[in-house]
Amino acid sequence: MVDFLRDFVHILRSSDLRISTSESIDAMKVISKVGIQDRNILKDSLSFSLAKTMREKEIFSDCFDDFFKENYMNFEKENSPIGSEQQIEEVDDLDSLDNGAKNKLENLYKNSDKNSLMTAMALAARESNLQDIRLFTQVGMFTRKIFDEMGLETLNNDIFLASRMGDFNREEELKEIRENLRVEIRDYIENQVKLRTSNTGKHLREEALSQMRLTQADKSDYKIMSGIIKKMAKRLISIHSRRKRKSQRGILDVRSTIRANQEYDGILFETVWKKTKIDRPKIIALCDVSGSVANVSRFFLMFLHSLTEILPNVRTFAFSNKAGEVTDLFENKDIEVAAAETLLLNGGGSTDYGQAFVDLEGLLENKIDRKTTVIILGDARSNYGDPRCDVLKTIQEKSKRILFLNPEPKSVWGTGDSEMLRFVPYCNKSKVCKSLFDLERVVDDMLRSSI
Amino acid sequence: MSNNKTPSNGSAKDLIENIQSNFEKQGYICNTHIATAIFLSQSLGKPILVEGPPGVGKTELAKATAEWMEKPLIRLQCYEGLDESKALYEWKYGKQLLYTQVLKDKLNNIVSKSDSLESSIDSLNNFDDIFFSEKFLEPRPLLKAIESENGSVLLIDEIDKSDDEFEAFLLEILSDYQVSIPEIGTIKGKVKPIVFLTSNNTREIGDALKRRCLHLYIPFPDPFLEEKIISSRVPEIDKELKVQLVNFVQGLRNLDLKKLPSVSETIDWARSLVLLNVKTLDPILVRETLNILLKFQTDIDVSDPEIDNLIESSKK
Repeated sequence: MVDFLRDFVHILRSSDLRISTSESIDAMKVISKVGIQDRNILKDSLSFSLAKTMREKEIFSDCFDDFFKENYMNFEKENSPIGSEQQIEEVDDLDSLDNGAKNKLENLYKNSDKNSLMTAMALAARESNLQDIRLFTQVGMFTRKIFDEMGLETLNNDIFLASRMGDFNREEELKEIRENLRVEIRDYIENQVKLRTSNTGKHLREEALSQMRLTQADKSDYKIMSGIIKKMAKRLISIHSRRKRKSQRGILDVRSTIRANQEYDGILFETVWKKTKIDRPKIIALCDVSGSVANVSRFFLMFLHSLTEILPNVRTFAFSNKAGEVTDLFENKDIEVAAAETLLLNGGGSTDYGQAFVDLEGLLENKIDRKTTVIILGDARSNYGDPRCDVLKTIQEKSKRILFLNPEPKSVWGTGDSEMLRFVPYCNKSKVCKSLFDLERVVDDMLRSSI
Repeated sequence: MSNNKTPSNGSAKDLIENIQSNFEKQGYICNTHIATAIFLSQSLGKPILVEGPPGVGKTELAKATAEWMEKPLIRLQCYEGLDESKALYEWKYGKQLLYTQVLKDKLNNIVSKSDSLESSIDSLNNFDDIFFSEKFLEPRPLLKAIESENGSVLLIDEIDKSDDEFEAFLLEILSDYQVSIPEIGTIKGKVKPIVFLTSNNTREIGDALKRRCLHLYIPFPDPFLEEKIISSRVPEIDKELKVQLVNFVQGLRNLDLKKLPSVSETIDWARSLVLLNVKTLDPILVRETLNILLKFQTDIDVSDPEIDNLIESSKK
């Protein structure tokens, strides 16, 4: 029983459910209360302690249905909630039969129902470490291992003996049994592979994609990548969701002071000062959406707008030669649609950073203040136009800080038409930002230092 | 694992069905899913976190449980800025001050009896603790629930509206059912209360809190269940109208609305239709009473063109 639950929890974890040890202990207690006779009640009960969001409940439901396939576990027959002990007893029975004229496997096939065949298979699978299976190509090997564990050798011997004795019918019969058993075992393993490894491939791919240069990203990967962005955003939200407070000396919190001093008979010994919550940073993002960096901007915009819970004051602008605001687009439409439309509306045309700064200044007028963080994302390649560093300077003077994110490696900054080296002095920070992983780190840094 | 308390096959299922039928008697109709959650929380002594869209009966579930178990329902409504002194306990300052005033006069008597400074301090020492004893403690909902002699049902409503700090502060209470008061010590309840936490998911609840709870999600009911709910709450409704009304509401929930009509709103609508003496749905009547179901003008506008279709299909 403990084994099967451990197995099940392991499978749930590999399907992206976060289950703590205390939760699996709870699940154990739950089973001891409800038993495993009624499949629906068991499913309901386990879902209360193992899956704690809507999404998790869906995954749980699928995994449960796969794991507890009705033909694998006969719920009607088992009347003790302690399954594994019963399983062992059954196997003992089989062992005792082994001494008889017929061999173990033949006996199992002919005399018992599917349920005990399954049990024997599951036990053999545990002996041969089936839980370590990773790849589909290992199915053959594990089939053989489990078959051996279940007593293939004696069956083969019997077949050999039968053919030596010239007992053709018996030979054929045994061969048929062997073949049928092989199919059963193979099916069982294939199902297990599906359960255990369906997610490992995805995990590898996600890891690779989050490290990959965004400029190289292929259209076919967009879907996975927006999934990654959602995950990253969720992680950042949970880290930064608590609003920080700082005490502000000078304003007395009368109520709390009186309460704190009750123990001194109401004489005010200790003072309590009012605390103010620190405002979330105001962010203005200006993204280059011309061909070369469009991909990076696309994902950066998606990322920023997935963080509305902790960054409610985000305004985003996109430009190639003229800057335009895209905040509304992202607020009113699905995030992926909005990203695509941004590129359509603002992309194309040759990049002009000078014009973009002037436009930004004009569009925002006096909206930039000491609480505003301005983030500029682009390769700083301005096609030899005037970079208008003077405008950048006034923006910096008005704002709290400017972050410049450049997808190009530092070694090529300033080469050709790149104006990066001329921008750097007016930016409080300039960073290379080429992959999703970098994006996450930059935003995390920004949230941390906004205190 | 192998303990005698483990119910045999029948009893767990029977107990769950028993809960279900008891709830039904009080007019709270639920499926086995919900009844199983109540059974588990009761037998494991774990709090339940109930999530779901507004108006599906999360709060009602706690009320029904309290009524079924014949235990007092203690309710704590969460809001931003809720803190210990409002949720857990507070000292009765007024009473403390009054008593110090009264004792001032007696003070001379006490001190005059002793001849040295040391002995007068000793005799005063005996008084100290009285002011911070349970007599001067004003229990707030959480402490009340833990202290109650015969157990209670504690409902912490809309936990998602409270601050993160409050959530952290609940952890001690939910895992050990005890409260630490610095001046007195740890107060531990004799009987574990049954705890319900409800959330509308306006923000994600922390993992630490979730880990300590069983998690129950109540979605909108299916048509069959909703019909049962309506006939239990509005027994005087015409059978045909009931079927139409439920189908209509279920259809509305498939539209892209800002706020979907909840069960409580379906009940309200059913009551008003009964008052209006309606026998069957017709477009004019539905348009006139739609504001009972939908609370946003934009939602009413969105659903307006669909009403005729919905009524048509609800009659089938």
